[in-house]
Amino acid sequence: MEVLKTEGLCMSFGGVLALCKVSLRVEKGERLVIIGPNGAGKTTLFSVLDGQLKATAGQIYFFGQEITHVPGYRRAHRGISRSFQLTTLFMNLTILENTLLALQGTKQSRFQILRPITAYKHLYNKAQALLDPMELWEKRNDQVHAISYGDQRKLEIALGLASEPRLLLLDEPSTGLTSAERADVTSRIRNLGADITVIVATHDMDLAFGVAQRIIVLHHGEIVTVGTPEEIRADPKTREIYLGEEGIRHA
Amino acid sequence: MEILLLTALTGVSFGFILFLVASGLSLIFGVMGVLNLAHGALYMVGAYIGWTIAIQQEGNFVLAVLAGGVGTVIVGLVLERGFLRRIHGMLNQQVLLTFGFVYVLTNLCLWYWKALPKAPFTAPVLDWSFPIAGVTYSFARMVITAIGIALAIFLWWLQSKTRFGTIVRAGMTDKEMTEGLGINYGIVATIVFALGCFLAGIAGVLGAQLFGAHLELGMNVLVLAVVVVVVGGMGSVPGALVGGLLIGLVVSFGKVLVPGLSMFLVYLVMIVILMIRPTGILGKATTS
Amino acid sequence: MEQEFVAQTWQRQLARFAPYIVAGLVFLIIPAVLPSYAQSVMTRVLIFALFAVSLDIIFGYAGLLSLGHAAFFGVGGYANAILLTRYGFESFWIVTPIAIVIIVVVAAVFGVIALRVSRVYFLLITFALSMLLVCVANTWRGMTGGADGISFIPPPDLGLSWLSWNPASFYYFVFTSFIICFLLMRLVVNSPFGLSLQGIRESENRMRALGYNVWLHRYIAFIISALFAGVAGILFTYHNTVISPWNLGLEMSALAMLICILGGLGTLWGPLIGAVVVILIEYFSGIYMPARWPLVLGGSFIICVALIPKGIAPSLRRLQNRLLYGSVKN
Repeated sequence: MEVLKTEGLCMSFGGVLALCKVSLRVEKGERLVIIGPNGAGKTTLFSVLDGQLKATAGQIYFFGQEITHVPGYRRAHRGISRSFQLTTLFMNLTILENTLLALQGTKQSRFQILRPITAYKHLYNKAQALLDPMELWEKRNDQVHAISYGDQRKLEIALGLASEPRLLLLDEPSTGLTSAERADVTSRIRNLGADITVIVATHDMDLAFGVAQRIIVLHHGEIVTVGTPEEIRADPKTREIYLGEEGIRHA
Repeated sequence: MEILLLTALTGVSFGFILFLVASGLSLIFGVMGVLNLAHGALYMVGAYIGWTIAIQQEGNFVLAVLAGGVGTVIVGLVLERGFLRRIHGMLNQQVLLTFGFVYVLTNLCLWYWKALPKAPFTAPVLDWSFPIAGVTYSFARMVITAIGIALAIFLWWLQSKTRFGTIVRAGMTDKEMTEGLGINYGIVATIVFALGCFLAGIAGVLGAQLFGAHLELGMNVLVLAVVVVVVGGMGSVPGALVGGLLIGLVVSFGKVLVPGLSMFLVYLVMIVILMIRPTGILGKATTS
Repeated sequence: MEQEFVAQTWQRQLARFAPYIVAGLVFLIIPAVLPSYAQSVMTRVLIFALFAVSLDIIFGYAGLLSLGHAAFFGVGGYANAILLTRYGFESFWIVTPIAIVIIVVVAAVFGVIALRVSRVYFLLITFALSMLLVCVANTWRGMTGGADGISFIPPPDLGLSWLSWNPASFYYFVFTSFIICFLLMRLVVNSPFGLSLQGIRESENRMRALGYNVWLHRYIAFIISALFAGVAGILFTYHNTVISPWNLGLEMSALAMLICILGGLGTLWGPLIGAVVVILIEYFSGIYMPARWPLVLGGSFIICVALIPKGIAPSLRRLQNRLLYGSVKN
């Protein structure tokens, strides 16, 4: 079953073309990784997919329905969820409050003005279920600006999962983490289950090859190659992009 | 027809006064990122200092204008060095702090110069009118317009033809980069601030020929300057000119066509601009 | 959110309930024995507290600074005054709902205009909208009394024959209104909607990605905020018996802003404390140096920014935490 399809997606800012004719398909349960050096357009692509940006050309289909003109905030209700490259958490709120906000984003209760939020026990339990496996539950009353960067990145992913999305977009989930933390993130993504489709954008090769069933290489906003991890590893174009831009990383 | 011409000329000279005040406000916002609500009060201080020199001390009018400018710079620098430099980027604090200064400066002016408004005053040599196309026009207003044009040209020259202007413009677009190039932007910002204060101060004395000096100026001039900056574009000196002339004409014609509602029109213009092009007529569409 | 359950020594019990005890003393018990001029000052405190607390919803919780909040205060006041003096309405129970409807309609219109933009531009547009109303109030003499405003506003007619109006009874009337409004606003900010507002303040991008219609939440918050500001305006007309265009304008909005920030944003009870401080300063400066009041007020703005930028509330909360837990937490 096809979860996501884009056709000829283009995004230009003023005169700069950030995305050019991006066409891709993602199947249900797939783990797709988009790699490319900084500035390749990965975050722009995600912002177009989740509705933050309006594509200047092209179409997006989600489970067969066109969502190109669906406003950003409605896409979460359809099942698209996203984590951010630059930590976009609610800094002055607690971990618990952050999670509650993520949980009620797609629920009617978010408009409730006369009942206290503490009355919503089931949200509380769901928050625990979400935060416990990440070892964040014990710190739930800590304000986010005070927790470690690694914990913040974990919370980013937790918030992305809160709405039980059908498609999860993870933007650079492992940036700035220690290698132990990166391995942790890699295994978490692997264990997310077949009901959820995951697209990861990253320039971290260990994560990419550890998670991907299929890899798309993006460069200057265009798709350069698509293939399985082995095909990409052997692909000369990809090596050129990386050896030319990032130096010796994976010889 | 004569009324039309007279109203237009009045609007233009008023517009240039607004340009002088608004250009300072706009530059300060563009360069320092600070919304200086005390700018109208600086105009007022200039006007009072000018009155003191010209009328009380019976001094030379040119001296009065310069004294107004310099005095305002001194007051402004106290504000900037002491307080404003600590609150870059903090909108709430800027609004509160600079608004507080409006009250403080107004009350200090009350204390020193007492409550009686100072009548409009001018240099004896400027104090005559002459007919243009059947309409009597005051020479003082002409001088204001001439000085306004001269200063507009000066500012344009400063911005586009000097190294200082280039630095200022670079800093407005990308402050970190400019500092990375080894330029001490703190000093640049202070100089720009001082320039803005000077313009407000001399505008105060020049404008005193038309409006005198009184305690409501702090608020009234601020409001008009803010409208001009919004209409013309934040951070744009040409925008301050366009906005100033536009608002000057709106007020002038408003007073003739719909007396009592001229300010209503001004606010309406401001709201319309904010709704359809918030960055102003000549403002840059920034992402901030 | 959750209170850890620590051993309840009497000191800790006291620390926990101290705020309510103090508030109860200051606002409920003491005014009964104060002289009438002091009761009038306390009434003014509560009216301005209500005004500032309403601003806290859109400013402290939703994170949108408005320089035109006085517009709703003034609309509430003028609507009330006009209905009572120009249209001959008498009963509080009829006039107040009508005035509230008017406030909500104005807020609904202003909200659509103002919420098209955010941050600095929102600040400017709300300012311009309120000044527009000032112009209307100054010019429409027939309706609003022009620059002189409306005077001789009668006290509220509650239809209670046993009630006679004096500073004490009027104080408790305002006190009751304040408590009702405060508790309602407290429900709003502690609700899921209230948490959403805080989320929007912290990161509107994230909120959109999570499925929130940010504009709609802000719009509702704007109207709720305006509603309670208008109620404060209604109470103000009864207390002051006079309303003038000044009550719609920039200086009034700035005063609410000062009270809010000085008290402590995003707490609801912070602005209440801010109002006590500012109105008391206003009162004493009126006695000892009336001509210098603007200097004192402006000085307060400056001192607040320079020395207590986060307001009084955080310090009080830290004090309470220290007493409760013996250490500084959150």
